[in-house]
Amino acid sequence: MKLFLGLLIGMAFGAILQLGGASSYKKIMGSLLLKDMDVIKLILMAIAVGTVGIYALDLVDMANMSIKPTYVVGIIIAGLIFGVGFAVAGYCPGTCVVASAEGKTDAMMTVVGGLAGAMLYALVYPAMSGLIGVTNYGEVTIASALGVNGIWIALPFSAILFVLMFKVVKDRYE
Amino acid sequence: MHDEPVISWKVAGAALGLLLIFATAMVKPLGVSTQYVVTDAIVLHSAAPNLAESNEYLNKYGEKDDWSIGYGWMLVLGMFIGGGISAFATKRFRDRDNPSIPSMWSAEFGESSPRRLTHAFIGGALLLFGARLAGGCTSGHMISGISQLTIGSFIFGISIFASGIVTARMLYKKRLAS
Repeated sequence: MKLFLGLLIGMAFGAILQLGGASSYKKIMGSLLLKDMDVIKLILMAIAVGTVGIYALDLVDMANMSIKPTYVVGIIIAGLIFGVGFAVAGYCPGTCVVASAEGKTDAMMTVVGGLAGAMLYALVYPAMSGLIGVTNYGEVTIASALGVNGIWIALPFSAILFVLMFKVVKDRYE
Repeated sequence: MHDEPVISWKVAGAALGLLLIFATAMVKPLGVSTQYVVTDAIVLHSAAPNLAESNEYLNKYGEKDDWSIGYGWMLVLGMFIGGGISAFATKRFRDRDNPSIPSMWSAEFGESSPRRLTHAFIGGALLLFGARLAGGCTSGHMISGISQLTIGSFIFGISIFASGIVTARMLYKKRLAS
């Protein structure tokens, strides 16, 4: 049953990304070149809706949250590596799966590269424990750091994202 | 060429936000990159069980679902199916002159498929190495993580766009100069 639910949620996820243009190399690179901001705005909208919904669920104790640990140095290094891969591939780990389903062979190659990168990480994992251990603040959120209920952060944060999406972030076509 | 998205970023973003809320209520927030490790773990385990079990990282993820597929893997399979169905339904399947080369790429780097596929492979390897070091990718860390107000996810989001933007500018020098 849970497997079937995963399949359904994934199908909706894949269809949304495909229909929204997030599996398009051109749209992703357009965002990284700061010309076509659709994909960035799509992400901001998802977060603006998601954050309020998740913390509203949390009020009635229905949110199955999964907070990842914050290890500052390791995450910055990881993000910088990921960003290079993002621009070089023109896809991310999810959108390359969707783009593969569209018959794009370069995206299939990104999936294969991803499997190789994950395997490489598994091989060097023992050596990475230092990066994960240093500056590790554990499962901390803005709400838990400030000691307030998340909804009081989620609501103004969502409002800020709406201002960003509609007033600040603009396309700059050539 | 059908280049423009079928639905606007507003509709797609709101739908994705609602899906994230639904997934969080039912099971857990959305995530993709773990499944690359799970796939590696399952494949290696079927070929050489001892080798897979002796690797600390593969063992950690492989053991969880008894070296088989679980909820998260089905989710990624679903992404492939759902993306495929909508691509067919909107007649955008293989909507390219060359299935391996985006038109934007060929304008900058030419028509060589091996060159594009090499970039795609290296990019993919960097993506997953980074995602596994961070503990998540664009979905798990950025969209799900920032929605949960996780501090590390904000740091990850800023870092990926910082290096992504710089790298994209270095790659597309010709385009930016024109």
